[in-house]
Amino acid sequence: MRDVYILGVGTTACGRFPDKPAHILGREAAWTAIKDAGIHPRKIEIAFCGHVYQGMGVGQRTLKEIGLVGQPVVNVEGACGSGTLSLWEAWRSISYGQYDIVLALGVENLSRILSGGPLPLEEDDIEVAMGMGMPALYAMRAKRYMEEYGVTAEQLAKVVVKSRKHAALNSIAQYRKETTIEEVLSSPMIADPLTRSQCCPVGDASAAAVLCSGELVDKLATKKPIKVLGCAAQSGKYSTPEKLICDPSENVARTSRMAYEMAGLGPEDMDVAEIHDAFSIAEMIVYEALGFCEKGAGVRLIEEERTSLGGDIVVNPGGGLLSRGHPIGATGLLQTAEIVWQLRGEVGARQVQDAKVGIIETMGGAQPAMDGITCVVSILGA
Amino acid sequence: MSEKINDQNEIYRPDLFSTTPRPHLIAGRCKACGKYTFPKYYACPFCFSDDLEDAPLSPIGTLHSFTIVRRSMPDYQVPYGLGLVDFPEGVRVMAQIEADNLEGLKLDTKMEITVGPVRKSNDGKDIVSYKFCPVS
Repeated sequence: MRDVYILGVGTTACGRFPDKPAHILGREAAWTAIKDAGIHPRKIEIAFCGHVYQGMGVGQRTLKEIGLVGQPVVNVEGACGSGTLSLWEAWRSISYGQYDIVLALGVENLSRILSGGPLPLEEDDIEVAMGMGMPALYAMRAKRYMEEYGVTAEQLAKVVVKSRKHAALNSIAQYRKETTIEEVLSSPMIADPLTRSQCCPVGDASAAAVLCSGELVDKLATKKPIKVLGCAAQSGKYSTPEKLICDPSENVARTSRMAYEMAGLGPEDMDVAEIHDAFSIAEMIVYEALGFCEKGAGVRLIEEERTSLGGDIVVNPGGGLLSRGHPIGATGLLQTAEIVWQLRGEVGARQVQDAKVGIIETMGGAQPAMDGITCVVSILGA
Repeated sequence: MSEKINDQNEIYRPDLFSTTPRPHLIAGRCKACGKYTFPKYYACPFCFSDDLEDAPLSPIGTLHSFTIVRRSMPDYQVPYGLGLVDFPEGVRVMAQIEADNLEGLKLDTKMEITVGPVRKSNDGKDIVSYKFCPVS
């Protein structure tokens, strides 16, 4: 396996952009990433494009806008993990020696297909036919977690308060207004106990990264290159009633263990994290799965503000999915861009001091019988 | 997969439940390793045998978790209860819940199977299927 570096990243803002279809958002992010990398676009040998609902050939349709035609483009779908699945594809195509300079793109415009409410899921899934949306599934996790560990609605709401506080410092975030526990709990109930503020918003964005091989990094880098220390993608295993619905995901734990092993590091070495907080409860459970704390102790990290800016393991400094937004195919690369900026020391007021190592966790899809569709975990180092 | 049975309503997945002698779900059982799945798959996810059979689940399970859905997809009438019930055969099943007092429902309550409307069809008819309700 060869060393892989991220040379540049680029994103659009996150928000509701019904007038900007995927290829319009995507071209801006791709172009910004190429400029940030400081390379000529023609040097890109292959591109991967993560998306879920953007239709046939979205990667090709997007890259045509900036002259990137001819080279292979692979559209990648892995539910909410599509963006980082695209990053993983880019990483492995370099790591295993097939290419040297690769673009990973993620794009999604949800506003054009959805005015609000839960994400449309596969109606052929029995649970979806029975009325399960993603908020309902996470609500069931929250309900059991609260019962098991005596967690209160106020403690769940604190995840959102932290998220908005971070996003207030991020100019690309969809929700930038700080909030309070009272406001979070008084927003409309979506699926008990999750109120609307505890669910990620419908939104649109694109994000991209340019990666290169270790052999070329010294020659190509115009900014501090960020090394991919570990990168792993897995699918969920069959889940049975031996586990609680609120137990740390075996899929996230397994994938992160692979990434940690590849990096030769452990959870205690992480300075900053971008994780998949699609719903308030998810953040606490992911802490546990990534090994930041023991099972059931996720709530304490929130209570003690250890994952807030200024804490010892800052999680979602960019606002996470709850506040920066969750334009599904773009999300993983929005997370990646935030960690790259953090490791370069470029984010101003939300900078995690002396951040040297960051972790990115994305979880795509969920069914009661399967522990997630796609999980991707990457570890980046300055 | 809905099978129209009369002009009044449709049944969703009639292959997954039976009302006689007592309402119960129909799972898959692997003849090689004995493990159950709901629904029956094409090959056993535990031992990869493809020798699977339909097998009834116990009529009573335990409520592992639930929620009251207040915002949903079109065609679903909110609010409705949605829960996960664990059956002794080792499967966890999700379905809607019918209960007089959804807010007051406690986790780990014993639940049984009933049949009722889960959503509306495109032409406004009820689509019915299996649901859970607290054991009376």
